[in-house]
Amino acid sequence: MPRQMLDPRPAERPLETSEKSAEGICRGWYEAYGGPLYSYLRFHLSSPDMAEDLTAEVFLRALKAFSRFDPALGSPRAWLFRIAQNVLRDHQRQARRRPMVPLAGMRDLEYEAPSPEERLLWEEEVASLLAAMGELSPGDREVIGLCYSCEISMTDAGEILGLSAAATRTRLWRALGRLRKVLVR
Amino acid sequence: MTEMPDGLRDLDRKLRSVRFGPRASFGPELLGRLRRGDQPSGRGRSDFRRHLAAAAIAILTAGGALALANVGTRTPADAVTVDRCCYDLDGGGDADDGVLILAERDDRVHRLRVYEDLDGSQSFTPADLVRLDRGAKPAVHGLAGEGIVTIGQCCLDFDGGGPDDDGLLVIGVPPDRVLMAAIYETGAGARPRGSPPAAWPLR
Repeated sequence: MPRQMLDPRPAERPLETSEKSAEGICRGWYEAYGGPLYSYLRFHLSSPDMAEDLTAEVFLRALKAFSRFDPALGSPRAWLFRIAQNVLRDHQRQARRRPMVPLAGMRDLEYEAPSPEERLLWEEEVASLLAAMGELSPGDREVIGLCYSCEISMTDAGEILGLSAAATRTRLWRALGRLRKVLVR
Repeated sequence: MTEMPDGLRDLDRKLRSVRFGPRASFGPELLGRLRRGDQPSGRGRSDFRRHLAAAAIAILTAGGALALANVGTRTPADAVTVDRCCYDLDGGGDADDGVLILAERDDRVHRLRVYEDLDGSQSFTPADLVRLDRGAKPAVHGLAGEGIVTIGQCCLDFDGGGPDDDGLLVIGVPPDRVLMAAIYETGAGARPRGSPPAAWPLR
């Protein structure tokens, strides 16, 4: 039987009428999951601009591959997060070759700070957390980023990671243990 | 045990407080791009995908023999992509894993990706779960720990060379961790002179 190969990227073209509904569904998905996806990606990236670019890439890839989405096989959220994992993996591979220096800091950090000083302290704390995460293995970063970047249950995180809830929990705790060791070093 | 260990609670609380949000104008910008039918930019996309776009090959089987056609191949000169699905490569028990390989025929492997075929398409798609993604050299990814198993598939054509003479070796921790994956040639002359019978060079 012939093996299906990955298709080359098709030439750019406007959406056909039959794809309008796909665009509408993706729009709904953005409204439901855009924020959590952005936060998830941002946990792994040093720049808000890069997080926006990759979030956009997730939805553009989702729209392109929309016909392959089968709700019987999983939720849209799990599907989108898996696309995000693959987008992030591709980006990180590229970034190793072309490291980028972030120009913006934590302008996208959501925090109800009573004072600018407290916000600054919180930003520094988050920056050190993310820097410590950067020393972990990709697997540890992945499970921590997924479980904490957005409000997601252990079962839903497990669906995205292809694990049971119990296995996800175990993996998370081990990763947190390693993160704690990095932080106290 | 479902209670978080005491030593992790402070860290857990702190991480739960971290939230990021995009600019207010980001949503409308993205929705406009979706409406216009913008294509994925390919930002961050590796050479692997570009090579995949450049290297088109049809692998046709007939009566157990493979006929190969390679169209429009670019750098690397003889790179072909081979997508083999589905086997149990992660030890999870289900034959739902595939391997996507970019290689030169019977020669160097440039990229190798082990994935779980979540959408049942029997090929790699953007939403499939990638268990391992490696470059040219086989290496163990992540901490080994306990419970390591080796899983082998032999013999198929994993590198587009033609004959079904390649093996696939996967090292992992069931049910879901893949630490290393590599292919090896089993055909005549594949083994270095003087090496023991099991010393197939991994690619």
